[in-house]
Amino acid sequence: MWIPIQINEQSAEPLYHQIGIQLRALIVSGQLEEGTLLPSIRELAQHLKCSVITIRRVYQNLETEGLLFTRQGTGTFVAQVGAEERSRHRLESVVEAFEAAVAAALRVQCTEEEMGDIYRSVVKERLRQSRQGD
Amino acid sequence: MNNDEAVIRLTEVEQSRAHFKLGPLNLNVPKGYVTAIVGPNGSGKSSTFRLLLDLAKADRGSMEMFGEPVGRDDVKLKQRVGYLPDDSLSEEDSLRGSERAAFTKIWYPGWDVNRYTELLNLFEVNPDLKLGKMSKGMRRKFELTLALSHDPELLLLDEPSSGLDPLAWKKMIEVLHHYMEQGNRTILMATHIIDEVRRLADYIVFLVNGRALGVYEKDELFSSWHIFYVQDERSVYELLSGIPGIRAKEKAGGGVIKVITNKAMDAEKWLQKEGIKITGRTPMELDEIMASLIDNDRLRMRQS
Repeated sequence: MWIPIQINEQSAEPLYHQIGIQLRALIVSGQLEEGTLLPSIRELAQHLKCSVITIRRVYQNLETEGLLFTRQGTGTFVAQVGAEERSRHRLESVVEAFEAAVAAALRVQCTEEEMGDIYRSVVKERLRQSRQGD
Repeated sequence: MNNDEAVIRLTEVEQSRAHFKLGPLNLNVPKGYVTAIVGPNGSGKSSTFRLLLDLAKADRGSMEMFGEPVGRDDVKLKQRVGYLPDDSLSEEDSLRGSERAAFTKIWYPGWDVNRYTELLNLFEVNPDLKLGKMSKGMRRKFELTLALSHDPELLLLDEPSSGLDPLAWKKMIEVLHHYMEQGNRTILMATHIIDEVRRLADYIVFLVNGRALGVYEKDELFSSWHIFYVQDERSVYELLSGIPGIRAKEKAGGGVIKVITNKAMDAEKWLQKEGIKITGRTPMELDEIMASLIDNDRLRMRQS
């Protein structure tokens, strides 16, 4: 099973954090439905080229949050996500992505105004593209 | 790593030879993980394997495998291990693959003929050939097949991919991933192929001049060692001595200073707090990290 998670190697953000945020987003957004069997720890580690230690940590964290559950001998599954949970986590990965974008802008000494301009033009362009796609 | 059961435990192991001293070596290899030993040529990787298999004796220290001391009930311990030595034995050149397999089979009750055949097919090895007539790559694949066919709990792989072409290499990586799927298996491998470490390892041990320069969790290692490029202005160069995790700094030209840190997150925060402009950053590759560790080790040896 292929899970759309992307790792940013340029980031100093620990991998378990990067992967955790994206997996959480996939679950709360419903892209990974309740009851979905996730890849084994070794399998996902291989796919993302990271260590099993990292993936185990991600699975454990999400299990503690109640987003995943493990059935002994069968594997790790997506749990039922409440509506409240859903709205709480919905924007998390978006905020993360914006933070990374702002960091990139600060590296080249962008002003706040320039960032605003870029933001508006990107949003406009994207919305136009998606309207055309429909 | 302390919470995990150790399959191999080396405590203060030393072996002195006329031209080389291994140790004192302290190393725990955790069960269920892939541990990669990386280090320059002649750093003691193969010697460590030979000690573990009791093919050579240590002068000092203790070695345990599966909780049992190495060197006593030899046969039983070795039946649980699959070993791929760095070099093929020239004494075996005139044996056919099938003859060599028949010999191996005698020693391992766990021998699984289906597994053996499956791996031969996968690696496209012809067991009717004499070992000396096989190409280097085919012989390597054959020997890897032998190491895996008795379903060992522990694999000791010494430079497993030497001589393999990219396709065979990829197959090997897949076979080893599959081997680890069960969760209770362990691999200890020596390698200097960076991509191999990237794809397989969970833990990395740096072995330099016969000493282990620490055991690292792979992902943590790669995410904490970064190079920052910052603008050289005011007294930034002097100030940078205070950056968390500093390993080295140098003026890179063009008004830019290059800083190496092994605490990337803290370093980034520190740079922001000090108002130092970051113009670029890049994670470090394994060989660069190793070079930096070796430099530091030399410095420490000289000072002591």
